[in-house]
Amino acid sequence: MSVMLQRRAVLTAGLAAFSLAALGGGRAFAQAIRLRMLWWGSQERADRTNKAIEAYKKIKPDLTIAGEFAGWSDYWPRLATQVAGRNAPDLIQMDYRYIFEYARRGALAPLDDYLGKGLNIADFGTMNIDSGRVDGKLYGINLGVNSSALMFDGAAWEKTGATPPSQVKTWEEFAENTAKFGTNKPKPGYYATADASGLEPALECWLRQQGKSLYTPDGKIGYDAADAGKWFAMWAKMRESGGCVPADIQALDQLNIETNALTTGKAATAFAHSNQFVGYQALNKAKLSLAAYPRISADSVSGHYLKPSMLLSVAKDSKGIADAVGFIDFLVATPEGVDILGVERGVPASSSMRDQLATKLDGVSKSMVQFIADITPGVGDLPPAPPPGAGEFAFVLKRIAEEVAFKRITPEEGGSRLVQDADNVIKRK
Amino acid sequence: MTLYAGSIAEERRAASLPKRTGLKRIFDRNIHAYLFLLPWLIGFFGLTLGPALVSLYLSFTNYDLLQSPDWVGAANYVRIATSDPKFAAAMQVTFTYVLLSVPLKLAFALLVALAFNRGIKGLTLYRAIFYLPSLLGSSVAIAVLWRQLFASDGLINMLLWRAFGYEGPSWISNPDYSIYTLVILSVWQFGSPMIIFLAGLRQIPQDMYEAAEIDGAGKLRQFLRITLPLLTPVIFFNAVIQTIDAFKAFTPAFIISEGTGGPINSTLFYTLYLYQEAFGFFRMGYASALAWILVIIISLFTAFSFLSAKYWVHYDD
Repeated sequence: MSVMLQRRAVLTAGLAAFSLAALGGGRAFAQAIRLRMLWWGSQERADRTNKAIEAYKKIKPDLTIAGEFAGWSDYWPRLATQVAGRNAPDLIQMDYRYIFEYARRGALAPLDDYLGKGLNIADFGTMNIDSGRVDGKLYGINLGVNSSALMFDGAAWEKTGATPPSQVKTWEEFAENTAKFGTNKPKPGYYATADASGLEPALECWLRQQGKSLYTPDGKIGYDAADAGKWFAMWAKMRESGGCVPADIQALDQLNIETNALTTGKAATAFAHSNQFVGYQALNKAKLSLAAYPRISADSVSGHYLKPSMLLSVAKDSKGIADAVGFIDFLVATPEGVDILGVERGVPASSSMRDQLATKLDGVSKSMVQFIADITPGVGDLPPAPPPGAGEFAFVLKRIAEEVAFKRITPEEGGSRLVQDADNVIKRK
Repeated sequence: MTLYAGSIAEERRAASLPKRTGLKRIFDRNIHAYLFLLPWLIGFFGLTLGPALVSLYLSFTNYDLLQSPDWVGAANYVRIATSDPKFAAAMQVTFTYVLLSVPLKLAFALLVALAFNRGIKGLTLYRAIFYLPSLLGSSVAIAVLWRQLFASDGLINMLLWRAFGYEGPSWISNPDYSIYTLVILSVWQFGSPMIIFLAGLRQIPQDMYEAAEIDGAGKLRQFLRITLPLLTPVIFFNAVIQTIDAFKAFTPAFIISEGTGGPINSTLFYTLYLYQEAFGFFRMGYASALAWILVIIISLFTAFSFLSAKYWVHYDD
């Protein structure tokens, strides 16, 4: 029996490692470092991440990284509980919205000292590095560049004689063409576009095109009731003309790829993020295309900005900050790591990594890289940091957009209510 | 009998000893019992009472999980009582749900139990089949299924269209109807009260019905005069349990609205609102205050049930 066990232990690399670890005091293991990494995302992302962890093990055999992952909505409670219990994972996948909350509460380690020393991200460009900064310090490394994007079924648009989103310039033109789509629609219950009136990034882009913003740098609301009213009115008009899905169809959308009106066959256009393009195409039979948002006027700015689809941060209490940084460097600044992750988390921020990766990609991933390259010349600065409590605003916007869509209130009332409720949210401690 | 007498004698002996050793002796005598109770005791103190007391403390603080709690006195309770529109919305949704789903579910469970009690063949099988929804009921899969059934092009609308030519709305995503789809989901899980009703019906002596029949009482009168009064303890039990469960309902609303309580807060169950505050917006203190208000509401409901019981619950043994 013991011979059997021994033989198996020798045969299986995993078991061998385990039995060594069980011995506990081996000299080689005295320096062993164990890190934990937590991320959100799909099985696809988990497979790629685990593969990268395996590959890194060949480079640094004495470093073990244990990965955990969860869905988006379970992720934040889990992370918050672990951080509160002084049991934070060493490597934390971070979202642009939450990084301010975590960094300002002292949960993350500043990484500025590693720049150029173990963390070779100089060719990210200022904007992609700064997207991980909070109050001037670097707390997160960009894992992929992302932007708001329209995804649409071009063939469906053309069949109705309407001009597809990639060829219209303004919101007005876009609305006219959704109406045209509505009149000639190929089947009942099918519309030109999903309703984005309750979608925070869509409203933000529309505001930026007018030189406004969701929040001012000093943490106040960056628009007024009339602006928000106009936004709701524009969508109300699209609903009335039959170009945009009705309220009860839009309310089935749970803000994920699976339940979006495009995927469920109710609309020909979705408002999404560019890194989701691979996911959308995987779930849609029709060939999809990417387009930037329509603009306020033909000569206005695009309103887009390049944001990190996600960041990787290191916990302040981590015992292996330098080792964690080494792994981050592997993921974002070495061809091996970048190739394993691909564009699943967004387009690599490093220009040299992006170029070498681009030659190895399939058509869908390539068009996503191309989209980012196309919009890059016209993008604006990152928006100022959202004030504390702004996380709740997405819920507020969705609720008020629904009240307008279900005709409980007029678009104008929706506008003033949005400003009032948004103000209450950020004033609340 | 002898055993019992022996233990009394022992107790007397114990009582005659000085107090200090008396306590010790009682403990010694019961140590095995305490050992067996230990898993439960650890669970009760460590996982129920302890956290409950901590949450009572937290309800008087602002606590965001990352920084230590800040004492704010009754501020959380004051805000809930005076200036929280979402609290009002959540109360309305939850009370609508409780007041509709509990009576409907109990009525339905009783109806099915009565049908089963007539001695049909294959009762065990039917009982198992009708109990099945209760096993699946609070699962994620069923909530997802419910979305499919009551969506715009779901099965329900297909049937309505085929049968009546009526083009239904998207029931589950329409703020006017969404809560009712959740009530139906709850009523559909009538299995456990049904099983309890069935057991209660079996307890009613058959000779009462025979006597009533000889006296010329019809089926309806037999039901009203014999079945219902003798079943009141079981109805009472089921009502209390189901009411508490309904107040605590969470999963269906969470899955169906993906945690938003939408559309327009129409499925914002109290527990869902509490969860949003705690884990969505990291207001642990505020969420703790909400939780304690729910504890008080449920306690009041239960106390009221017990107080009213003496006027309508009929204990006959």
